[in-house]
Amino acid sequence: MAHHDDQDLLPTPGQRVGTFLKRKDVSQTFVLGIFFTAVFVVLGLWVYPHWMPNVMSKEMQGNEDIMIWFTVISAPIAGVVLAIAMESFINMHRGDTPPPEDGPGIKTHGPVVVIWSAVSVLFTIVAIVWGITEMNTWSSDALAGSNNALVVDVTGSQWNWSFNYPAQGITSHELNLPINQPVEFRVISADVNHSFWPVQLGVKVDANRLSTTIARTTPDKLGVFDVKCAELCGLNHAYMETAGHVESVADFNNWVSQAKATGGTQQ
Amino acid sequence: MASTTASKSKTALGAVVAIALGIAVVAGVGVELHAHSYLNAPTETATINGTITAPDGKSYPHAFITDGLYADPIDSKAHGACATCDGGHPTWPSYGPFTHFVLPAHAYVTVTMHVYDGGEKLNSPYFANVVGTVGGTMNVDGKDVASLAPDGVQHTFTIHGLPTETQDPLFVNIPMPKTGDGGQDQAGSPLPKGHVVTFSFITGGKGNYVWNCEYPCGDTTYQGFGAVMGSQGYMSGKVTVL
Repeated sequence: MAHHDDQDLLPTPGQRVGTFLKRKDVSQTFVLGIFFTAVFVVLGLWVYPHWMPNVMSKEMQGNEDIMIWFTVISAPIAGVVLAIAMESFINMHRGDTPPPEDGPGIKTHGPVVVIWSAVSVLFTIVAIVWGITEMNTWSSDALAGSNNALVVDVTGSQWNWSFNYPAQGITSHELNLPINQPVEFRVISADVNHSFWPVQLGVKVDANRLSTTIARTTPDKLGVFDVKCAELCGLNHAYMETAGHVESVADFNNWVSQAKATGGTQQ
Repeated sequence: MASTTASKSKTALGAVVAIALGIAVVAGVGVELHAHSYLNAPTETATINGTITAPDGKSYPHAFITDGLYADPIDSKAHGACATCDGGHPTWPSYGPFTHFVLPAHAYVTVTMHVYDGGEKLNSPYFANVVGTVGGTMNVDGKDVASLAPDGVQHTFTIHGLPTETQDPLFVNIPMPKTGDGGQDQAGSPLPKGHVVTFSFITGGKGNYVWNCEYPCGDTTYQGFGAVMGSQGYMSGKVTVL
Protein backbone atom coordinates (compact mmCIF):
# COMPACT_ATOMS: atom_id res chain seq x y z
CA MET A 1 0.00 0.00 0.00
CA ALA A 2 1.49 3.31 -1.05
CA HIS A 3 2.14 5.89 1.62
CA HIS A 4 1.16 9.52 1.09
CA ASP A 5 2.12 12.34 3.40
CA ASP A 6 0.32 15.70 3.70
CA GLN A 7 2.52 17.33 1.07
CA ASP A 8 1.21 14.97 -1.60
CA LEU A 9 -2.34 16.18 -0.96
CA LEU A 10 -1.58 19.89 -1.55
CA PRO A 11 -2.49 21.23 -4.99
CA THR A 12 0.30 21.98 -7.38
CA PRO A 13 1.09 25.66 -8.21
CA GLY A 14 -0.67 25.22 -11.56
CA GLN A 15 -3.77 23.84 -9.84
CA ARG A 16 -3.74 26.73 -7.38
CA VAL A 17 -3.59 29.30 -10.20
CA GLY A 18 -6.36 27.43 -12.05
CA THR A 19 -8.57 27.42 -8.98
CA PHE A 20 -7.76 31.08 -8.34
CA LEU A 21 -8.74 32.11 -11.87
CA LYS A 22 -12.06 30.28 -11.62
CA ARG A 23 -13.17 32.33 -8.65
CA LYS A 24 -16.02 34.69 -9.47
CA ASP A 25 -14.37 37.77 -7.99
CA VAL A 26 -11.15 37.06 -9.88
CA SER A 27 -12.89 36.59 -13.21
CA GLN A 28 -14.85 39.79 -12.59
CA THR A 29 -11.63 41.63 -11.81
CA PHE A 30 -10.11 40.20 -14.98
CA VAL A 31 -12.99 41.47 -17.11
CA LEU A 32 -12.97 44.85 -15.39
CA GLY A 33 -9.21 45.08 -15.89
CA ILE A 34 -9.56 44.51 -19.62
CA PHE A 35 -12.35 47.06 -19.79
CA PHE A 36 -10.45 49.79 -17.91
CA THR A 37 -7.29 49.06 -19.89
CA ALA A 38 -9.22 49.54 -23.11
CA VAL A 39 -10.68 52.78 -21.78
CA PHE A 40 -7.22 54.12 -20.90
CA VAL A 41 -5.83 53.10 -24.28
CA VAL A 42 -8.66 54.92 -26.05
CA LEU A 43 -8.12 57.95 -23.81
CA GLY A 44 -4.40 57.90 -24.49
CA LEU A 45 -4.58 57.48 -28.23
CA TRP A 46 -7.61 59.50 -29.24
CA VAL A 47 -8.75 61.77 -26.40
CA TYR A 48 -5.48 62.80 -24.77
CA PRO A 49 -4.10 64.55 -27.89
CA HIS A 50 -7.12 66.88 -27.85
CA TRP A 51 -6.37 67.87 -24.27
CA MET A 52 -2.74 68.66 -24.93
CA PRO A 53 -1.58 72.15 -25.96
CA ASN A 54 -1.04 72.95 -29.61
CA VAL A 55 2.17 71.67 -31.08
CA MET A 56 4.39 74.53 -32.29
CA SER A 57 7.79 72.83 -32.38
CA LYS A 58 9.38 69.44 -32.90
CA GLU A 59 10.22 69.35 -29.19
CA MET A 60 6.56 69.75 -28.28
CA GLN A 61 5.63 66.98 -30.72
CA GLY A 62 8.16 64.74 -28.98
CA ASN A 63 6.65 65.62 -25.59
CA GLU A 64 3.17 64.76 -26.81
CA ASP A 65 4.31 61.46 -28.32
CA ILE A 66 5.94 60.46 -25.05
CA MET A 67 2.88 61.40 -23.03
CA ILE A 68 0.56 59.49 -25.34
CA TRP A 69 2.61 56.31 -25.59
CA PHE A 70 3.51 56.22 -21.93
CA THR A 71 -0.20 56.53 -21.18
CA VAL A 72 -0.88 53.54 -23.43
CA ILE A 73 1.98 51.52 -21.95
CA SER A 74 0.81 52.16 -18.40
CA ALA A 75 -2.84 51.50 -19.26
CA PRO A 76 -2.77 47.78 -18.23
CA ILE A 77 -1.27 48.63 -14.83
CA ALA A 78 -3.75 51.42 -14.17
CA GLY A 79 -6.56 49.22 -15.49
CA VAL A 80 -5.75 46.29 -13.19
CA VAL A 81 -5.32 48.53 -10.13
CA LEU A 82 -8.63 50.26 -10.81
CA ALA A 83 -10.33 46.90 -11.44
CA ILE A 84 -9.12 45.51 -8.12
CA ALA A 85 -10.30 48.64 -6.33
CA MET A 86 -13.67 48.49 -8.05
CA GLU A 87 -14.11 44.77 -7.38
CA SER A 88 -13.18 45.26 -3.72
CA PHE A 89 -15.73 48.02 -3.44
CA ILE A 90 -18.48 45.97 -5.13
CA ASN A 91 -17.90 42.83 -3.06
CA MET A 92 -16.94 44.38 0.23
CA HIS A 93 -18.51 42.72 3.26
CA ARG A 94 -21.74 44.33 4.40
CA GLY A 95 -24.25 43.70 7.13
CA ASP A 96 -24.05 42.85 10.79
CA THR A 97 -22.78 39.31 10.44
CA PRO A 98 -19.04 38.81 10.83
CA PRO A 99 -17.11 38.35 7.59
CA PRO A 100 -16.19 34.79 6.60
CA GLU A 101 -12.78 33.43 7.33
CA ASP A 102 -10.21 34.53 4.77
CA GLY A 103 -9.07 31.84 2.37
CA PRO A 104 -5.56 30.39 2.44
CA GLY A 105 -2.87 32.79 1.38
CA ILE A 106 -1.43 32.42 -2.10
CA LYS A 107 2.22 31.67 -1.67
CA THR A 108 4.97 32.72 -4.00
CA HIS A 109 4.33 31.54 -7.50
CA GLY A 110 7.56 31.54 -9.47
CA PRO A 111 6.25 32.16 -12.99
CA VAL A 112 4.06 35.05 -11.85
CA VAL A 113 6.97 36.72 -10.06
CA VAL A 114 9.21 36.28 -13.09
CA ILE A 115 6.62 37.60 -15.52
CA TRP A 116 5.72 40.55 -13.28
CA SER A 117 9.37 41.49 -12.74
CA ALA A 118 10.24 41.10 -16.41
CA VAL A 119 7.35 43.25 -17.56
CA SER A 120 8.18 45.95 -15.00
CA VAL A 121 11.83 45.96 -16.05
CA LEU A 122 10.82 46.10 -19.70
CA PHE A 123 8.55 49.10 -19.10
CA THR A 124 11.29 50.88 -17.18
CA ILE A 125 13.92 50.21 -19.84
CA VAL A 126 11.58 51.44 -22.56
CA ALA A 127 10.95 54.64 -20.60
CA ILE A 128 14.66 55.25 -19.95
CA VAL A 129 15.84 54.47 -23.48
CA TRP A 130 13.01 56.41 -25.09
CA GLY A 131 13.59 59.46 -22.88
CA ILE A 132 17.37 59.51 -23.31
CA THR A 133 17.10 59.00 -27.07
CA GLU A 134 14.58 61.84 -27.35
CA MET A 135 16.70 64.18 -25.25
CA ASN A 136 19.83 63.30 -27.20
CA THR A 137 18.05 63.94 -30.49
CA TRP A 138 16.88 67.35 -29.29
CA SER A 139 20.35 68.24 -28.03
CA SER A 140 22.00 67.20 -31.31
CA ASP A 141 19.47 69.10 -33.41
CA ALA A 142 19.72 72.16 -31.19
CA LEU A 143 23.51 72.21 -31.22
CA ALA A 144 23.52 71.78 -35.00
CA GLY A 145 21.39 74.91 -35.31
CA SER A 146 23.02 76.89 -32.52
CA ASN A 147 25.41 78.75 -34.81
CA ASN A 148 22.58 80.70 -36.41
CA ALA A 149 20.30 80.66 -33.38
CA LEU A 150 18.38 83.71 -32.28
CA VAL A 151 19.55 84.41 -28.73
CA VAL A 152 16.95 85.57 -26.24
CA ASP A 153 17.91 86.45 -22.67
CA VAL A 154 14.94 85.48 -20.52
CA THR A 155 14.64 87.05 -17.08
CA GLY A 156 12.06 85.93 -14.56
CA SER A 157 11.24 88.30 -11.72
CA GLN A 158 8.33 88.34 -9.34
CA TRP A 159 5.95 88.38 -11.14
CA ASN A 160 6.72 89.09 -14.78
CA TRP A 161 8.90 87.89 -17.61
CA SER A 162 11.12 90.14 -19.68
CA PHE A 163 12.97 89.24 -22.85
CA ASN A 164 16.16 90.82 -24.11
CA TYR A 165 17.31 90.27 -27.70
CA PRO A 166 21.01 91.21 -27.47
CA ALA A 167 21.75 91.01 -31.21
CA GLN A 168 18.72 93.15 -32.01
CA GLY A 169 19.20 95.51 -29.07
CA ILE A 170 15.62 95.37 -27.82
CA THR A 171 13.73 94.28 -24.73
CA SER A 172 10.14 93.19 -24.50
CA HIS A 173 7.45 91.91 -22.18
CA GLU A 174 6.16 89.57 -24.89
CA LEU A 175 8.17 86.85 -26.55
CA ASN A 176 8.19 87.16 -30.34
CA LEU A 177 10.00 84.57 -32.43
CA PRO A 178 10.47 84.05 -36.17
CA ILE A 179 9.27 80.77 -37.61
CA ASN A 180 11.76 78.00 -38.45
CA GLN A 181 14.60 79.88 -36.80
CA PRO A 182 16.51 78.02 -34.06
CA VAL A 183 16.22 79.89 -30.77
CA GLU A 184 18.54 79.79 -27.79
CA PHE A 185 16.95 80.86 -24.50
CA ARG A 186 19.39 82.00 -21.82
CA VAL A 187 17.25 81.85 -18.73
CA ILE A 188 17.96 83.54 -15.40
CA SER A 189 16.03 84.84 -12.42
CA ALA A 190 16.34 88.29 -10.90
CA ASP A 191 15.12 87.13 -7.52
CA VAL A 192 13.71 83.75 -6.41
CA ASN A 193 13.55 80.57 -8.47
CA HIS A 194 11.10 80.56 -11.36
CA SER A 195 10.52 78.12 -14.20
CA PHE A 196 10.38 79.36 -17.78
CA TRP A 197 7.65 77.48 -19.61
CA PRO A 198 6.67 78.45 -23.17
CA VAL A 199 4.02 75.77 -23.20
CA GLN A 200 3.36 75.10 -26.88
CA LEU A 201 7.09 75.10 -27.69
CA GLY A 202 7.71 72.10 -25.42
CA VAL A 203 10.36 73.82 -23.31
CA LYS A 204 10.42 74.07 -19.52
CA VAL A 205 13.57 75.00 -17.63
CA ASP A 206 14.36 76.45 -14.23
CA ALA A 207 15.15 80.12 -13.94
CA ASN A 208 17.70 80.38 -11.15
CA ARG A 209 19.25 83.43 -9.58
CA LEU A 210 22.89 84.02 -10.54
CA SER A 211 22.97 80.99 -12.82
CA THR A 212 22.06 80.94 -16.50
CA THR A 213 20.24 77.92 -17.91
CA ILE A 214 20.26 77.37 -21.67
CA ALA A 215 17.38 75.79 -23.57
CA ARG A 216 16.89 75.55 -27.32
CA THR A 217 13.99 75.02 -29.66
CA THR A 218 12.86 75.78 -33.19
CA PRO A 219 9.27 77.01 -33.54
CA ASP A 220 7.73 75.59 -36.69
CA LYS A 221 4.14 76.79 -36.60
CA LEU A 222 2.73 80.31 -36.73
CA GLY A 223 0.53 81.37 -33.84
CA VAL A 224 0.25 82.44 -30.23
CA PHE A 225 1.72 80.50 -27.34
CA ASP A 226 1.60 80.90 -23.56
CA VAL A 227 4.61 81.72 -21.45
CA LYS A 228 4.08 80.66 -17.85
CA CYS A 229 5.99 80.30 -14.64
CA ALA A 230 5.96 76.67 -13.53
CA GLU A 231 7.51 77.19 -10.12
CA LEU A 232 5.45 78.56 -7.23
CA CYS A 233 7.15 81.91 -6.67
CA GLY A 234 5.02 84.05 -4.42
CA LEU A 235 1.94 86.23 -4.22
CA ASN A 236 1.18 86.76 -7.91
CA HIS A 237 2.72 83.56 -9.27
CA ALA A 238 -0.60 82.68 -10.92
CA TYR A 239 -0.39 85.89 -12.93
CA MET A 240 3.21 85.43 -14.03
CA GLU A 241 2.16 84.77 -17.59
CA THR A 242 2.58 86.51 -20.87
CA ALA A 243 1.88 85.85 -24.52
CA GLY A 244 4.34 84.65 -27.13
CA HIS A 245 4.05 84.88 -30.89
CA VAL A 246 5.61 82.81 -33.64
CA GLU A 247 5.66 85.09 -36.66
CA SER A 248 6.86 85.13 -40.22
CA VAL A 249 10.41 86.41 -40.62
CA ALA A 250 9.07 89.59 -42.21
CA ASP A 251 6.67 90.25 -39.32
CA PHE A 252 9.40 89.58 -36.78
CA ASN A 253 11.79 91.97 -38.50
CA ASN A 254 9.03 94.56 -38.63
CA TRP A 255 8.41 94.12 -34.90
CA VAL A 256 12.13 94.55 -34.22
CA SER A 257 12.19 97.72 -36.30
CA GLN A 258 9.21 99.12 -34.43
CA ALA A 259 10.80 98.32 -31.09
CA LYS A 260 14.02 100.05 -32.10
CA ALA A 261 12.07 103.07 -33.26
CA THR A 262 10.56 103.40 -29.79
CA GLY A 263 13.86 103.24 -27.98
CA GLY A 264 14.39 99.51 -27.85
CA THR A 265 11.61 98.72 -25.42
CA GLN A 266 8.63 96.95 -26.84
CA GLN A 267 5.51 95.69 -25.19
CA MET B 1 -30.87 38.48 -0.50
CA ALA B 2 -33.09 41.53 -0.82
CA SER B 3 -31.52 43.08 2.26
CA THR B 4 -28.04 42.48 0.83
CA THR B 5 -28.98 44.22 -2.41
CA ALA B 6 -30.47 47.11 -0.47
CA SER B 7 -27.33 47.32 1.63
CA LYS B 8 -25.16 47.41 -1.51
CA SER B 9 -27.31 50.15 -2.97
CA LYS B 10 -27.04 52.20 0.20
CA THR B 11 -23.28 51.78 0.26
CA ALA B 12 -22.94 52.79 -3.37
CA LEU B 13 -25.22 55.78 -2.88
CA GLY B 14 -23.26 56.80 0.19
CA ALA B 15 -20.01 56.58 -1.70
CA VAL B 16 -21.34 58.68 -4.57
CA VAL B 17 -22.74 61.30 -2.20
CA ALA B 18 -19.47 61.40 -0.24
CA ILE B 19 -17.45 61.91 -3.42
CA ALA B 20 -19.85 64.57 -4.69
CA LEU B 21 -19.75 66.37 -1.33
CA GLY B 22 -15.96 66.25 -1.31
CA ILE B 23 -15.77 67.73 -4.79
CA ALA B 24 -18.33 70.40 -3.89
CA VAL B 25 -16.48 71.42 -0.72
CA VAL B 26 -13.10 71.65 -2.45
CA ALA B 27 -14.57 73.53 -5.42
CA GLY B 28 -16.50 75.84 -3.12
CA VAL B 29 -13.44 76.71 -1.06
CA GLY B 30 -11.47 77.34 -4.24
CA VAL B 31 -14.12 79.58 -5.76
CA GLU B 32 -14.56 81.53 -2.53
CA LEU B 33 -10.82 82.04 -2.09
CA HIS B 34 -10.52 83.19 -5.67
CA ALA B 35 -13.50 85.53 -5.45
CA HIS B 36 -12.30 87.09 -2.22
CA SER B 37 -8.60 87.19 -2.95
CA TYR B 38 -8.67 90.99 -2.79
CA LEU B 39 -11.68 91.28 -0.50
CA ASN B 40 -12.25 94.69 1.05
CA ALA B 41 -9.61 96.34 -1.07
CA PRO B 42 -10.32 100.08 -1.15
CA THR B 43 -11.72 100.67 -4.61
CA GLU B 44 -11.53 103.66 -6.88
CA THR B 45 -13.80 103.83 -9.88
CA ALA B 46 -12.44 105.98 -12.68
CA THR B 47 -14.15 109.29 -13.31
CA ILE B 48 -15.02 109.91 -16.95
CA ASN B 49 -14.72 113.48 -18.14
CA GLY B 50 -15.37 114.00 -21.85
CA THR B 51 -13.52 112.36 -24.70
CA ILE B 52 -10.01 112.56 -26.04
CA THR B 53 -8.43 111.72 -29.38
CA ALA B 54 -5.49 109.34 -28.99
CA PRO B 55 -2.43 109.21 -31.27
CA ASP B 56 -4.10 106.37 -33.15
CA GLY B 57 -6.68 108.91 -34.34
CA LYS B 58 -9.56 107.34 -32.45
CA SER B 59 -11.71 109.09 -29.90
CA TYR B 60 -12.02 107.54 -26.46
CA PRO B 61 -13.87 108.37 -23.25
CA HIS B 62 -11.31 110.07 -21.00
CA ALA B 63 -11.17 108.43 -17.57
CA PHE B 64 -9.17 109.63 -14.58
CA ILE B 65 -7.67 107.89 -11.56
CA THR B 66 -5.70 109.44 -8.70
CA ASP B 67 -3.69 107.56 -6.10
CA GLY B 68 -0.57 107.83 -3.99
CA LEU B 69 2.50 105.96 -2.87
CA TYR B 70 3.87 106.37 0.62
CA ALA B 71 6.87 105.25 2.61
CA ASP B 72 4.82 104.08 5.57
CA PRO B 73 1.40 104.54 7.20
CA ILE B 74 2.56 107.56 9.19
CA ASP B 75 3.60 109.24 6.00
CA SER B 76 0.36 108.39 4.24
CA LYS B 77 -1.74 109.55 7.20
CA ALA B 78 0.15 112.80 7.23
CA HIS B 79 -0.85 113.23 3.60
CA GLY B 80 -4.42 112.38 4.49
CA ALA B 81 -4.42 109.32 2.29
CA CYS B 82 -4.18 106.31 4.56
CA ALA B 83 -6.65 103.64 3.61
CA THR B 84 -4.81 100.51 2.66
CA CYS B 85 -2.06 100.94 5.18
CA ASP B 86 -2.34 98.91 8.35
CA GLY B 87 -1.41 100.35 11.71
CA GLY B 88 -0.07 96.92 12.63
CA HIS B 89 2.71 97.35 10.11
CA PRO B 90 4.11 100.81 10.79
CA THR B 91 7.14 100.34 8.56
CA TRP B 92 5.41 99.02 5.46
CA PRO B 93 5.26 101.22 2.37
CA SER B 94 2.01 101.24 0.48
CA TYR B 95 0.10 102.50 -2.47
CA GLY B 96 -3.02 104.26 -1.29
CA PRO B 97 -5.65 105.16 -0.53
CA PHE B 98 -6.77 102.76 -3.27
CA THR B 99 -5.45 99.41 -4.46
CA HIS B 100 -8.40 98.24 -6.57
CA PHE B 101 -9.13 100.25 -9.68
CA VAL B 102 -12.27 99.95 -11.77
CA LEU B 103 -11.78 101.26 -15.29
CA PRO B 104 -14.10 101.58 -18.27
CA ALA B 105 -13.46 99.37 -21.30
CA HIS B 106 -12.08 100.94 -24.48
CA ALA B 107 -11.16 104.14 -22.67
CA TYR B 108 -8.21 106.49 -22.44
CA VAL B 109 -7.21 106.29 -18.80
CA THR B 110 -5.06 108.97 -17.22
CA VAL B 111 -3.54 108.13 -13.85
CA THR B 112 -2.05 110.63 -11.44
CA MET B 113 0.22 109.29 -8.71
CA HIS B 114 1.59 111.31 -5.80
CA VAL B 115 4.72 109.50 -4.75
CA TYR B 116 6.72 109.85 -1.54
CA ASP B 117 9.40 107.23 -0.94
CA GLY B 118 13.07 106.58 -1.44
CA GLY B 119 14.51 104.19 -3.98
CA GLU B 120 17.21 101.67 -4.67
CA LYS B 121 18.37 99.39 -7.44
CA LEU B 122 15.83 97.23 -9.28
CA ASN B 123 16.40 93.50 -9.52
CA SER B 124 15.42 93.54 -13.19
CA PRO B 125 16.40 96.70 -15.10
CA TYR B 126 13.58 96.06 -17.60
CA PHE B 127 11.14 97.57 -15.15
CA ALA B 128 12.96 100.90 -15.17
CA ASN B 129 11.30 101.39 -18.58
CA VAL B 130 7.89 102.91 -19.16
CA VAL B 131 5.90 100.30 -21.06
CA GLY B 132 2.37 100.20 -22.39
CA THR B 133 1.49 103.90 -22.06
CA VAL B 134 0.31 106.29 -24.73
CA GLY B 135 3.47 107.49 -26.43
CA GLY B 136 5.61 105.13 -24.35
CA THR B 137 6.25 107.85 -21.77
CA MET B 138 5.13 109.11 -18.38
CA ASN B 139 5.21 112.62 -17.04
CA VAL B 140 7.27 113.34 -13.91
CA ASP B 141 6.75 116.80 -12.45
CA GLY B 142 5.91 118.18 -15.88
CA LYS B 143 8.63 116.37 -17.83
CA ASP B 144 8.03 113.43 -20.17
CA VAL B 145 10.38 110.49 -19.65
CA ALA B 146 10.54 106.99 -21.14
CA SER B 147 12.66 105.39 -18.43
CA LEU B 148 14.46 105.97 -15.16
CA ALA B 149 17.90 104.92 -14.02
CA PRO B 150 17.50 101.35 -12.72
CA ASP B 151 19.29 102.26 -9.51
CA GLY B 152 16.99 105.17 -8.76
CA VAL B 153 13.56 103.61 -8.92
CA GLN B 154 11.31 103.91 -5.94
CA HIS B 155 8.70 101.29 -6.76
CA THR B 156 6.88 100.26 -9.91
CA PHE B 157 3.21 100.16 -10.78
CA THR B 158 2.97 97.18 -13.11
CA ILE B 159 -0.37 96.01 -14.49
CA HIS B 160 -0.56 92.58 -16.05
CA GLY B 161 -2.94 89.69 -16.48
CA LEU B 162 -3.33 86.20 -17.77
CA PRO B 163 -3.09 85.88 -21.57
CA THR B 164 -6.49 84.28 -21.90
CA GLU B 165 -8.60 84.10 -25.03
CA THR B 166 -11.48 85.82 -23.26
CA GLN B 167 -9.89 89.15 -22.43
CA ASP B 168 -7.62 91.62 -24.14
CA PRO B 169 -4.03 91.84 -22.99
CA LEU B 170 -3.10 94.77 -20.77
CA PHE B 171 0.46 95.40 -19.69
CA VAL B 172 1.57 98.71 -18.23
CA ASN B 173 4.80 99.32 -16.35
CA ILE B 174 5.51 102.61 -14.60
CA PRO B 175 8.75 103.05 -12.63
CA MET B 176 8.18 105.51 -9.81
CA PRO B 177 10.95 108.08 -9.23
CA LYS B 178 12.46 108.20 -5.78
CA THR B 179 11.96 111.26 -3.64
CA GLY B 180 14.70 113.82 -3.37
CA ASP B 181 16.66 114.05 -0.16
CA GLY B 182 16.00 117.00 2.06
CA GLY B 183 13.09 118.42 0.12
CA GLN B 184 9.79 119.10 1.78
CA ASP B 185 6.17 119.30 0.74
CA GLN B 186 5.75 122.82 1.97
CA ALA B 187 7.83 125.25 3.92
CA GLY B 188 7.95 124.03 7.50
CA SER B 189 6.44 120.64 6.71
CA PRO B 190 8.30 117.57 7.96
CA LEU B 191 7.13 115.56 4.98
CA PRO B 192 9.53 114.71 2.18
CA LYS B 193 9.17 116.40 -1.17
CA GLY B 194 7.37 114.05 -3.48
CA HIS B 195 6.78 113.74 -7.19
CA VAL B 196 3.65 113.93 -9.28
CA VAL B 197 3.63 111.22 -11.92
CA THR B 198 0.99 111.06 -14.64
CA PHE B 199 0.61 108.53 -17.40
CA SER B 200 -2.11 107.35 -19.77
CA PHE B 201 -2.99 104.05 -21.34
CA ILE B 202 -5.87 102.66 -23.38
CA THR B 203 -7.95 99.81 -22.08
CA GLY B 204 -9.28 97.02 -24.26
CA GLY B 205 -12.38 94.98 -23.55
CA LYS B 206 -13.65 93.77 -20.22
CA GLY B 207 -11.21 91.86 -18.10
CA ASN B 208 -9.62 91.25 -14.73
CA TYR B 209 -5.99 92.11 -14.14
CA VAL B 210 -3.58 92.51 -11.26
CA TRP B 211 -0.93 95.07 -10.54
CA ASN B 212 2.09 94.81 -8.32
CA CYS B 213 5.35 96.51 -7.52
CA GLU B 214 8.40 95.03 -9.22
CA TYR B 215 10.83 96.54 -6.75
CA PRO B 216 11.51 94.05 -3.89
CA CYS B 217 10.50 96.39 -1.11
CA GLY B 218 9.50 93.74 1.42
CA ASP B 219 11.69 92.49 4.24
CA THR B 220 14.85 90.50 3.59
CA THR B 221 12.95 87.22 3.36
CA TYR B 222 12.93 85.67 -0.10
CA GLN B 223 15.11 88.28 -1.80
CA GLY B 224 13.04 91.16 -0.48
CA PHE B 225 9.70 89.62 -1.31
CA GLY B 226 8.53 88.91 2.23
CA ALA B 227 6.25 91.10 4.34
CA VAL B 228 4.71 93.84 2.22
CA MET B 229 5.47 92.07 -1.06
CA GLY B 230 3.95 88.85 0.21
CA SER B 231 0.68 90.41 1.35
CA GLN B 232 -2.30 91.50 -0.65
CA GLY B 233 -2.86 95.24 -0.80
CA TYR B 234 0.03 97.58 -0.06
CA MET B 235 2.17 96.78 -3.11
CA SER B 236 -0.34 94.80 -5.11
CA GLY B 237 -3.96 95.01 -6.12
CA LYS B 238 -6.53 94.45 -8.78
CA VAL B 239 -7.60 96.24 -11.95
CA THR B 240 -11.08 95.56 -13.20
CA VAL B 241 -12.07 96.72 -16.67
CA LEU B 242 -15.83 96.92 -17.11
